[in-house]
Amino acid sequence: MLSRPEQAAKLEPKVLSEAVLADFRAVVGENGIIVERNQLQTYECDGLTALRTVPAAVVLPRSTDEVQAIIRICAQHRIPFVARGAGTGLSGGALPAANGILISFARMNRILAVDIPNQRITVEPGVINSHVTQRVAPSGHFYAPDPSSQSVCTIGGNVAENAGGAHCLKYGFTTTHVLALDVVLPSGEFVHLGSPTVDSPGYDLTGVFVGSEGTLGVVTAITLRIVKRAETVQVLLAAYNSIAAAGQTVSDIIAASILPAAMEIMDRLSIEAAEASVHPNYPACAALLLIELDGPVGEVDVHMQQVREICRANGAWEDRLAQSEHERLLVWKGRKAAFAAAGRLAPNYIVQDGVIPRTKLPIILEEIERMATATGLRVTNVFHAGDGNLHPIVLYNASIPGQEELATDLSIRILHLCVDHGGSITGEHGVGKEKQQAMGYMYSEPDLNTMQLVRCAFDPHQLANPDKLFPRPRLCGEKSGPYTPHPLEVAGIAEYF
Amino acid sequence: MLDSTSSQTFADDLAAISGPEHLRVDENTFSIAPVSTEEIAAVLRYANRNGITIATYGGGTKQNWGNPIHPSLMLHTHRLGSVREHTWQDMTCTVQAGCLWSSMQQSLAKHGQFVALDPLWPDRATIGGIAATNDSGSLRLRYGSLRDLIIGMTIVLADGTIARSGGKVVKNVAGYDLHKLMTGAFGTLGIITEITFRLHSIPRHVQSFTIASFDVESLGQLLMKILDSHLSTQSLQLRSGSSGFALDVRLATLPAVIRDQASSLSKLAQSVQLEASDSDSDVWDARQEHFDRTEYFVMKATMLPSDISPIAATIRTLGGTSVTQAAGIMTASIPAAAPGQLEHLREKLEAIGGSLTVLHHPADAIPVASTTPSDTIPLMRELKNRFDPNRVLNPGRFLGGI
Repeated sequence: MLSRPEQAAKLEPKVLSEAVLADFRAVVGENGIIVERNQLQTYECDGLTALRTVPAAVVLPRSTDEVQAIIRICAQHRIPFVARGAGTGLSGGALPAANGILISFARMNRILAVDIPNQRITVEPGVINSHVTQRVAPSGHFYAPDPSSQSVCTIGGNVAENAGGAHCLKYGFTTTHVLALDVVLPSGEFVHLGSPTVDSPGYDLTGVFVGSEGTLGVVTAITLRIVKRAETVQVLLAAYNSIAAAGQTVSDIIAASILPAAMEIMDRLSIEAAEASVHPNYPACAALLLIELDGPVGEVDVHMQQVREICRANGAWEDRLAQSEHERLLVWKGRKAAFAAAGRLAPNYIVQDGVIPRTKLPIILEEIERMATATGLRVTNVFHAGDGNLHPIVLYNASIPGQEELATDLSIRILHLCVDHGGSITGEHGVGKEKQQAMGYMYSEPDLNTMQLVRCAFDPHQLANPDKLFPRPRLCGEKSGPYTPHPLEVAGIAEYF
Repeated sequence: MLDSTSSQTFADDLAAISGPEHLRVDENTFSIAPVSTEEIAAVLRYANRNGITIATYGGGTKQNWGNPIHPSLMLHTHRLGSVREHTWQDMTCTVQAGCLWSSMQQSLAKHGQFVALDPLWPDRATIGGIAATNDSGSLRLRYGSLRDLIIGMTIVLADGTIARSGGKVVKNVAGYDLHKLMTGAFGTLGIITEITFRLHSIPRHVQSFTIASFDVESLGQLLMKILDSHLSTQSLQLRSGSSGFALDVRLATLPAVIRDQASSLSKLAQSVQLEASDSDSDVWDARQEHFDRTEYFVMKATMLPSDISPIAATIRTLGGTSVTQAAGIMTASIPAAAPGQLEHLREKLEAIGGSLTVLHHPADAIPVASTTPSDTIPLMRELKNRFDPNRVLNPGRFLGGI
């Protein structure tokens, strides 16, 4: 592996020709293009700040026509492009390509159409997730996928990553709520995927596009499904002496045929950090279980009673029902602040995102504990217990030589552990740059080659967010079959992990 | 067409893969019944190399959906018939593609769970065929489609590559959702051999109500009100019958809550001068009944919920009947005398963002074209070309002749 300074030297941005820059300027106007180094650095990373690359230029289109014109220029000159919404992604999905441009959708933030009776809304990709809910709230509706960054992150980014959130268990993911996409393909062609009506004829192109992490093209308009808010919502906090007991409670609730809107578990360190950070008044305990039930009043009352009994039967020494909307929001505020709050626990941290079958939770946590101790690092855990989506937060101090590498390595080994137990390397943050090698641990060569067939159909010249998602560069003419080593590998210059 | 010498060679080679007792030869077509994903891969590898076209056959219930094709080899999946795994505590299961839908559900019911879908011909149709055609019924409203219920798949590509997509956990964003692409692809991109589903608990208490009227517009208004309400609606459909129309509502929640909601439903019905009563037991079979009408055009139409009642009225004026799920999926049958009017209906649906797919033509009827999306056909052709360059898998079956 190249050391950081060598990497930085290798990734100096290629300078785009004046002619090409003039072409971009003609499309987006003088105010729509950034070429000055200081300003470009604002865009050199997303939420994964350890990886930084300055793009050759940043363009900020205002319309689908401008996006199409930009991509046509890229197609003509074979310039790679990376799309960016709010840059909150945690896997490096919006990390620029050194010799390419970054397309920021900050100026495409309009809500285009709202159809409340049919429960649909059409938005530009730069619209903020929580703004969608705000727009439809007066009629008692909301937009269900709620990642923790929802007050900042954009729908375009949500589509690229198939963003989830705490309410996936009951309400599904971004892909559950996307009906149609206007897409500019890497060739510059404009296509309509899906439709405002369900089951549009043809291949499920929308389904394969959502979660494709910007590798198949860019979206310029999205038609989303909105959902009627439930009649009532209740939130319970239960305190335990062990995560295993909290985990068993989760399993027992599911076994009782109750489907909560959300079930979250936080461990002691996370609880302390969240408490110090936003003061949600959490009980001090080894494990906190947060359960949200929503639905008709009669149903929620009965189910909550059952849930409280199940908590106590599993040893919860306190179970506290939020008594008001204010209390309910405060409970959630603490949970949603957990990642940022980790900043209090150590100078640096890595948030990981593995998934395991729910029943494997106790084994996995024991194993993570063992691995952490062996490395000499601390790991705190926050998770969407209902669907087995773990967020282990690896704490470290980057100023201590070697710690960053140790922490990165540990976080990836945790993902391998998840795969070993029948899970996934990512539940909602995406693969991006960060986990592209781990894709090779989770999927076999035939699996990855098959996904590559899709990529080549959409993007034969590999211009859309290249060098992401797949473990190694693959040409579109490659056939599946026995592995043949890359020339760099044969020459001993590079290695695949 | 295969000549007799190559026919004999192919017969011998195919028999070597699955055993001669699992190969049948009729004139110039073969039928083979492999027992595993690996055997299917061997068959496809062989067929791909020798230009033998293949169609897949599960329960044979929807062979006439899509464009008619004449393959040389019929690949039967019934020997891949088992529920491989039911991890009930994680609420997932993995099932082979040749398993009958009802067999799977029976097995899952042992732990009070099910795959939340009510497809056509559940006693004869297979998992693979239902997925390949993306069938869905009245449970669509609450539980979503197969694309929301399938979390992983094993597929075999035309060249014999065995690939896995998704996994065994519900929340998984690693890589492309190839299983979504395969769902509804009519076997034209690959053959599905195994599916992993997310499961739900079988609802313990359900009750159905029907509001009948000749006034389809009022029923349409009521449908929209119910969608906007807090009722625990599991299923909602607008059905036309021999006289008038009916809105059927199935509620699923605790018994005391159903009682409360029944009176809320009555109030909603009264607000459009209508009355709710208990449903007959067979109202939820309405969709299946359309497929018994072989002398009719049988079709699937999609539309926005607010367009359901006007389109249902249009179907009535064409002398036909329909049943439409509130998500916006209509099953309709129209007498053979009105083919020109079907073109007009298709145009009307397309103008309001919907579509028409003719699933069954009566004998001797002039075929009516189904909705074909224009600007994505090149992309779909490119996908077909990448996945099946020799056009071996169900070639021509899909829209656009793909």
